[in-house]
Amino acid sequence: MLLKCFVVLALALGPSPQALKPSSPRVIRVSAERFAYTPSEITVEKGTVIEFHLTSEDTDHGFRIIGTEVDVQIPKRRRGETVVKYTADTAGRFIIECSRPCGAGHTAMRATLVVK
Amino acid sequence: MPQLSSLVDWKPLILACFGLISHSANVYAQAPAAPPPREGLPTLSGYMEMHLNKVQDLPTEVDLHRFVLMIGHSFSDRLKFWSEVEVEHAFVEVEGGEETGEVAIEQAFIDVMLNRRFNLRAGMVLVPVGIINERHEPPTFHGVERTFVDTVIVPTTWRDTGVGAFGDLGRGFSYRAYAVPGLDAAGFSAEEGIAGGRQQGGRADASDPAVTGRLEYRNTGLTAGASLWRGGAGFGLIRLDIQTPTVAVSSLDARYRRGRHELRGQWSMVNISGAADLNRALQMHTGLSPNIASRLLGAYAEAATRVTPDSWSDEVVVFGRYEKFDTQNKMPAGFQPLQEFQRSAWVAGATYYPDPDVAFKFDVIRERNKSGVVRAPWQINLGVGWWF
Ligand SMILES: [Cu+2]
Repeated sequence: MLLKCFVVLALALGPSPQALKPSSPRVIRVSAERFAYTPSEITVEKGTVIEFHLTSEDTDHGFRIIGTEVDVQIPKRRRGETVVKYTADTAGRFIIECSRPCGAGHTAMRATLVVK
Repeated sequence: MPQLSSLVDWKPLILACFGLISHSANVYAQAPAAPPPREGLPTLSGYMEMHLNKVQDLPTEVDLHRFVLMIGHSFSDRLKFWSEVEVEHAFVEVEGGEETGEVAIEQAFIDVMLNRRFNLRAGMVLVPVGIINERHEPPTFHGVERTFVDTVIVPTTWRDTGVGAFGDLGRGFSYRAYAVPGLDAAGFSAEEGIAGGRQQGGRADASDPAVTGRLEYRNTGLTAGASLWRGGAGFGLIRLDIQTPTVAVSSLDARYRRGRHELRGQWSMVNISGAADLNRALQMHTGLSPNIASRLLGAYAEAATRVTPDSWSDEVVVFGRYEKFDTQNKMPAGFQPLQEFQRSAWVAGATYYPDPDVAFKFDVIRERNKSGVVRAPWQINLGVGWWF
């Protein structure tokens, strides 16, 4: 419960107070597999509330948007999905990296979030 | 001592908890609780595989084939380190002049992340050829042993010290390209091709360098790749007074997954220039011609299906594979192919996953060759491999 509070707080204090604004989120599904995300480039309009649905085709992976509070673990294949919300209120290119060691190509497992 | 409450303003925290949970609880309802490791701390992971092999006419063998530890470290978002230390066949001892096992660094490199399209890598790297060389964690492939093509045509685990670049080109394309030391042609053979010529990063002779690269394309369920390795292989032959041989390895591969089905295939070719001179020179040196071919060719196709119902978390996958692996595909003028090395194999088996990272494997292999004299053996393999 306490952990949940912190996670929720982190999200709220994160990039934007707009995170509190109710708006229907844009669902983006990302599949992780050694050593890539599909899609590897995601483009959204500034202000979009993104609801990432993250699944894996093999082992646990991480999903960290560098420079934000988003850093979650993606469960193994057929073990459910991680859902995480992020309000894209800062324009720019954000790097998404795997933050859970997953094998020989882990360090290069990245994707890009473009906020226009 | 100051009161905790005076150091922390609890009001926003409490408000956040009560005010936001209704907004966000659903967001985390399905998320696993364990946070990923924090940056700055080294990470430890690894894999292992243990095999039981019964090859026709040979005693049954049990082998802790590979025990591998991977250590990674993130200095910052831009600087990353990754390494892989391996013990093969449990221990190393010199027996009758031959080593029983191997202790090796399979990877140890630093990545400098510059931008999406262009990043630098330096150190011991995996040669980016084929499917298995770069993705060799045991639960990622079916069959107890790696494919024949990834053993005698593409000599996995193929690695060397080098420098290079990698990046994501967009629209599903990515690449890796490195400069590495060349091969030692004095180690080539008729049976295992260029495998014996790998320098593997230890005091490697870099006077005859090579370039290697891979272009990969990914789109929902499909991964396709084209790889190349091209370089000299002659430094070990300097005193033999022949034109230094050049080796070119080309490889195409694809994997496709849809629902419970997966298909994968690979085609790999090795061309060795000046193989006739090489054979003659090595014969003068050792008294025996190694009968090295000027072309080696291999290909395989594999189909796999999960047979367990969707409601089960445990998985059983059955697979079948056909392989052709001919290390005497084209001989230089004046040399005849050794037909026992013109081989093919049917492999059928199953993988049981009690967890996606643990694989119990079983397979039967029926190997054939073109020789009328040397019979190709059948074999039965059992194994377990895991990744953590
Ligand atoms: Cu990963």
